[in-house]
Amino acid sequence: MNFGSYLLRRVVITIPLLLGITLVSFLIANAVPADPVTASLPSNALNNEALVQAFREKWGLDQPLYVQYFTYLGNLLQGDMGTSIKTSRPVIDDIRQFLPATIELSTYATFVGITIGISFGVVSAVFRNTILDYVLRTFALVGVSFPVFLLALAGLAIFYGELGWVAGPGRLGFRTDAPPSITGWFTLDALIAGDMDTFREAFSHIVLPSIVLGAFISGTISRVTRSSMLEALSEDFIRTARAKGLSEITVVIRHGLSNALIPVVTVVGLSYGNLLSGAVLTESIFAWPGLGRYMFRASTSQDFPAIMGVSLLIALIYIIVNFVVDMLYFFIDPRIRESV
Amino acid sequence: MKRFSFIRILAVALVIGLMVVGVAAQEERVLVIGHAESTDSLDPARGYTQTTGIINRATYSTLVTFPDDGPGDILPWLATAWEISEDGLSYTFTLREGVTFVSGNPVTAADVVFSIERLQNVQGNPAFLADNIQSVVANEDGTVTFTLEVARPSFLSELTNYTFSVTDSVAIIENGGVSGADAAETDAAETFLNTTSAGTGAYILESWEPQVETVLVKNPNFWGDEPYFDRVIITNIPEAATQQLALEAGDIDMALDLTRDQTTSLTSNPDIVVYSGPSVYTHFLLMNADSEIGGIVSDPTVQLAIRYALDYDGYKVLWGGVVPPTNLTVGLFAAYGEDQALTRDLDRSRELLAEAGYPDGFEITLQYPDFTWQGVNMNTNAQKIQSDLAEVGITVTLQPAELQVALDQYRNGDQGFAYWFWGPDILDPIDVLSFLPGGKVASERANWNVEAIEDTELLDLIAQAQVETDPATRVTIFAQLQDKLQESSPFAPFNVPSVQTAYLADIEGYVYHPQWTLDVAILSRAE
Repeated sequence: MNFGSYLLRRVVITIPLLLGITLVSFLIANAVPADPVTASLPSNALNNEALVQAFREKWGLDQPLYVQYFTYLGNLLQGDMGTSIKTSRPVIDDIRQFLPATIELSTYATFVGITIGISFGVVSAVFRNTILDYVLRTFALVGVSFPVFLLALAGLAIFYGELGWVAGPGRLGFRTDAPPSITGWFTLDALIAGDMDTFREAFSHIVLPSIVLGAFISGTISRVTRSSMLEALSEDFIRTARAKGLSEITVVIRHGLSNALIPVVTVVGLSYGNLLSGAVLTESIFAWPGLGRYMFRASTSQDFPAIMGVSLLIALIYIIVNFVVDMLYFFIDPRIRESV
Repeated sequence: MKRFSFIRILAVALVIGLMVVGVAAQEERVLVIGHAESTDSLDPARGYTQTTGIINRATYSTLVTFPDDGPGDILPWLATAWEISEDGLSYTFTLREGVTFVSGNPVTAADVVFSIERLQNVQGNPAFLADNIQSVVANEDGTVTFTLEVARPSFLSELTNYTFSVTDSVAIIENGGVSGADAAETDAAETFLNTTSAGTGAYILESWEPQVETVLVKNPNFWGDEPYFDRVIITNIPEAATQQLALEAGDIDMALDLTRDQTTSLTSNPDIVVYSGPSVYTHFLLMNADSEIGGIVSDPTVQLAIRYALDYDGYKVLWGGVVPPTNLTVGLFAAYGEDQALTRDLDRSRELLAEAGYPDGFEITLQYPDFTWQGVNMNTNAQKIQSDLAEVGITVTLQPAELQVALDQYRNGDQGFAYWFWGPDILDPIDVLSFLPGGKVASERANWNVEAIEDTELLDLIAQAQVETDPATRVTIFAQLQDKLQESSPFAPFNVPSVQTAYLADIEGYVYHPQWTLDVAILSRAE
């Protein structure tokens, strides 16, 4: 099978998957015993039948469920994700506003997570069952089990509140204007505009939340790296490499790590997808205007179009991330390349 | 010579340039407010949230208003005078002369008519506030007359709500606005009104980026006193803990949503001023009057026993604020003060329970939303209710539910014994009629209906309260109603928690207002 038909097959599989997602999220959102009318209208307005009726008609809630669903699907096929009940804006506009902030933060956080996670995992494996290993493994355990919002609050209180090393909540200072939007990433956009002051400010704002989220995912990454490395380091080819007289660094990195990477890449991919689908608490604490908080607001107010839109988006994110991970397997492991 | 004049010109230009830059840098006075944004819309016909109130208070004006520091007297604003007809059904307002909108268009009676009709016909969230307005007519002499469906003594208080902002009909129509009967389908001005403001307020909406920030700039056409700040930035910081850190760091001037334990820790900070005062939200127990739903607690004697069993001072220790004598919000005109509230009397409570046939108490389930409102954690209160009632032998099982789920049950009147809070839509004592037979909470949620009332005096008082306009008579009527509520009603109000605001010590003029929370136009910075 050549690469082109492989790609085509992946894309074709995606379509029923996305359809399934719309159906499941529609059913779940409607199964909650709460009414979007009571969630959205002020309590006094509920007494006014005309207002309630107007609201139901406006949002199509007076139609039977299957009609609502197929109307939604019909609009979706024409590229219309509907209008959010909560924000009264097209869902696509809301996503366009909130997604870049989340992508920027997730990418920085994943970078931090990979750096910490892989290096801790490798060191742990090489020095297994030493004090160093125990210390690093404890870090990993804390990273996995420590509530991320506590880490966020403590980090903010210490590094922003007490020490003043980093900037506080938000993506930029409250008095600073955002750089002209090209990528939606404030750090990149500031660099593109050649505005170093804004870049420094944006960077100072993103450092702490990235470290917090990065530390959070680094726990899992380092644990997987360690166990995968232990396995790889016990293989025969490592003994062969050592016997050839290669330096220990070359043995560990070239022969050990490159063979241990497959499960690590899988975990990194999943963590990245997880971060991209929004970190509600971290975003709240850092006043980071991302997708997580948008999604939270949508689900607590029974905002069906927004819930559906975000569910679709998250599904799409996972599909893309999985696809990229698979592509990386090709790149990392020649055996997979050849088998396909 | 030539070279000399060139250098001189350069020097002069440089000095002027520096001066301009210096003046500009010096003059821009910016106020940054940290707030958990709740804006649903900034269109006065559609928005109905706390944040909408703060912003529209700054960008629009209403015909009449309250004093800066609370509800009470009705003051002229865009209207300079008004006349009320004998039957209390029509109100004629004389508009202030020479006022123009941001666009430069003059304010006319036609704008008032347009604004009210658009509010009614767009059928947005706040439209219910205009339910009682039958018609609004622009008269030939430039005045405007409102005709009501039924006389309501609270009508002027209602008009202070930012929902009744007078908007620029010309500008709104140009941008797709419609006020006719089909406005619910055809009005397209919301996007315009979320981008800029079309009012007569001290400020103009410069931008609103949802969930990020709202920026206001001074309105050069403002007819009233010029505000101090050139620019007001209301930045969204959803977490109270983060607001506190940003305030302590000096990144924001004001934090609007702090919790009580936070402000306690801030009072020792000399750079920060903490305001704490009662909110308008009454936390109360609902005991369903329908015996099939309420069971034991539908018995008025048991209801009174529960009112005597609650540790009122304890809730005040937790959340500050005041102890409410009844569900008539403390602080409103004619409302009883804290000194008239019930005090805990466990012996009396036990006697009443014995009288009702439950000398050893009973078991009951308390339904409430798992929710935190303005820093008040309802779970904490539910646990305290549980331990308070245990002291008189009542065993309470707690049954929290997700807010929207609990709200549905509450609004359908399905809850037997429940814990909720209530904030008035109208800052007038008439709001308490919601908690009396025929009113919304009483009839629909507690099933306390007119048909079941044998006390005809109570029904007479309710009827009088709906129409009486004379202030002295109103005080008497509402006093009697409050007495009745304390004696017998399916409610047990127990706390009006405080609201907390903290701001940098150089900010002056801060005052909390229950209608619009905060008026940024009266704030300034000490120099």
